[in-house]
Amino acid sequence: MAQVTIPAPSAARHRIRRAQNKAPLSNVLLLGFGAIFFLLPIYSIVQFSLQGTAGTGGLFHWYQTVFDDPVFRSSFWLSVQIALETVAASLILMVPTVFWVHLRLPGLRPVMDLVSVIPFVVPPIVLIVGLAPFLKDFSSWLFVRPEVLSLVYVVFALPFMYRALDAGLRAIDLKTLTEAAQSLGASIPRTLFRVVLPNLRAAIIGGSLLTVAIAMGEFTVASLMGFTTFAVYTYQIGVSTAYEGVALSFISFLLVWGAMLALYLLGRGGSGAAAVAIKE
Amino acid sequence: MATVELRGLRRTFGSVVALDHLDLDVNSGEFVALLGPSRCGNTTALRIVAGFEWPDSGEVLVDGHDVLGRPANKRNMGMVFQAYSLFPNMTAQQNVEFGLRVRKESREARAKRASELLELVGLASAMTRYPRQMSGGQQQRVALARSLAIQPSVLLLDEPLSALDAKVRVQLREEVRRIQQELGITTLYVTHDQEEALSISDRVAVMSERRVEQLGTPAQIYSGPRTAFVANFVGTMNKLEGTVVSTLDRTVRCGPLLLNIPDPSFNHAVGENVELFLRPEDVSLEMLSNGDAPAPGLIEGRVTSLTFLGPVTRVGLATDCGPLLADVSSAVALNLSADTVVAVKLDSASLRSIAT
Repeated sequence: MAQVTIPAPSAARHRIRRAQNKAPLSNVLLLGFGAIFFLLPIYSIVQFSLQGTAGTGGLFHWYQTVFDDPVFRSSFWLSVQIALETVAASLILMVPTVFWVHLRLPGLRPVMDLVSVIPFVVPPIVLIVGLAPFLKDFSSWLFVRPEVLSLVYVVFALPFMYRALDAGLRAIDLKTLTEAAQSLGASIPRTLFRVVLPNLRAAIIGGSLLTVAIAMGEFTVASLMGFTTFAVYTYQIGVSTAYEGVALSFISFLLVWGAMLALYLLGRGGSGAAAVAIKE
Repeated sequence: MATVELRGLRRTFGSVVALDHLDLDVNSGEFVALLGPSRCGNTTALRIVAGFEWPDSGEVLVDGHDVLGRPANKRNMGMVFQAYSLFPNMTAQQNVEFGLRVRKESREARAKRASELLELVGLASAMTRYPRQMSGGQQQRVALARSLAIQPSVLLLDEPLSALDAKVRVQLREEVRRIQQELGITTLYVTHDQEEALSISDRVAVMSERRVEQLGTPAQIYSGPRTAFVANFVGTMNKLEGTVVSTLDRTVRCGPLLLNIPDPSFNHAVGENVELFLRPEDVSLEMLSNGDAPAPGLIEGRVTSLTFLGPVTRVGLATDCGPLLADVSSAVALNLSADTVVAVKLDSASLRSIAT
């Protein structure tokens, strides 16, 4: 049967569209308030970081000063290195663990949920007081090297990495996919790498970026253990030079935004169920 | 092609017995359906054959060799699952090629085989589609092609059509049967749907209480149920209760009727209570004029319900033999309404007796 549609008159159509597009005033006000709340401090930071540059030769003098400082570069790269090591250690530890718990030991999930929130409820200062003697006994060689921070940050990042992977695995029918792969001859490691991991892409990226954010921003433990990481350097600069410290804060903002953008772009390209679940 | 023998399989989950000494022989190239209600153990049996469960005792022999010592990925059995099981990160072609990639087949061989199989299941044009771009029926077709790609010795299907709508189910089950016959692959098919089991299987194993209740061809199961469970579970059955009055000519009294049971396996003593089973299509109706009594050998029945089923209408009747169902032509049923009184004729040649 042919379908007949009667076009609405043009003016009426426009009125309907305008009415549909028109947001209620309360929403606009709420959005405006939110924008002011978040953007005003950033604007103030940018404005402040561009002041005090008279006679210095450039508007971005304090940024230039930060980038020229060898301690900035060394602390930044140290933090990046620690962050990457933390991500690698977290993934190596957590992916097989969460996979196996979901597949074979689902009864342990409540225990895992509980364990994963411990770093939330125990303050970092308490954790490091307890961890430091253990790490010193574990390896005195490692204890004096910055890599030791990765081990501590794995604990701090545990809630985020666990929850991201847990959500990713809940979004796929792990048991059926694993059994399907096995029936086709695949071993468990092959199933993990070829079937499960590609479908956890968004979850892994999300967990990794949160881990990077934690590792890049952690101050207490790094400071107590005497390492000049990016966060410690930011604090030191902020104490000594206000303009430079604020410029450094804005650089930190940009790094976080860059990480979020990477999360969005990489997650958007994901073909797995987790990616779909996240999009929905 | 391979034979499959299940010998005394027993499986418990804690205190729950999932399988209780299950025995079943499947011939080479045969299609056997494991039919039963929920929790009858048919899925557990299939999963033991696949290698996803292990029995507490018993044997699974494939071509005479016990396979219980082998993990699932070494058994070379294709399996199609109830849930959609295509790998979401792979296209239809990549899914079909997965098992061949595991077996380190060349790229050309993989592509050729995937193309052949997707054509076999009618999805040659969907090779580059991801699972999320396919309907449920298409996904199950690809899953079937994927399971066949590895040239399995046995094909296992665990309710593969239960998530699909009725029309697709019928189409797909016919395709499954066609492909199975074309390839001659030994197949075990788990289903709760009796129509599905009867329509596509060489033999049906009706399962109840965690073991095989009756094994036979669809016709044997339908027309010759050996137990009350099979009679009630497969198709619709009228159940009449009667008492044996003569063993010589196998006569049973049921209400006012004396019925001769044709079943040669009838082996009951005089006075014994028996259950008689009769399909609705073996009950016929004759219209009665006002006040007329039914002819000898017929009983009076009052129409209690009419259910339109397309070509036939199922008529509910209240009789002196108890409630009965009769399937009559829908054209004939137009003359019937609630409380119409009719003469009811039971086709005694189709009566089956089972001791109570």
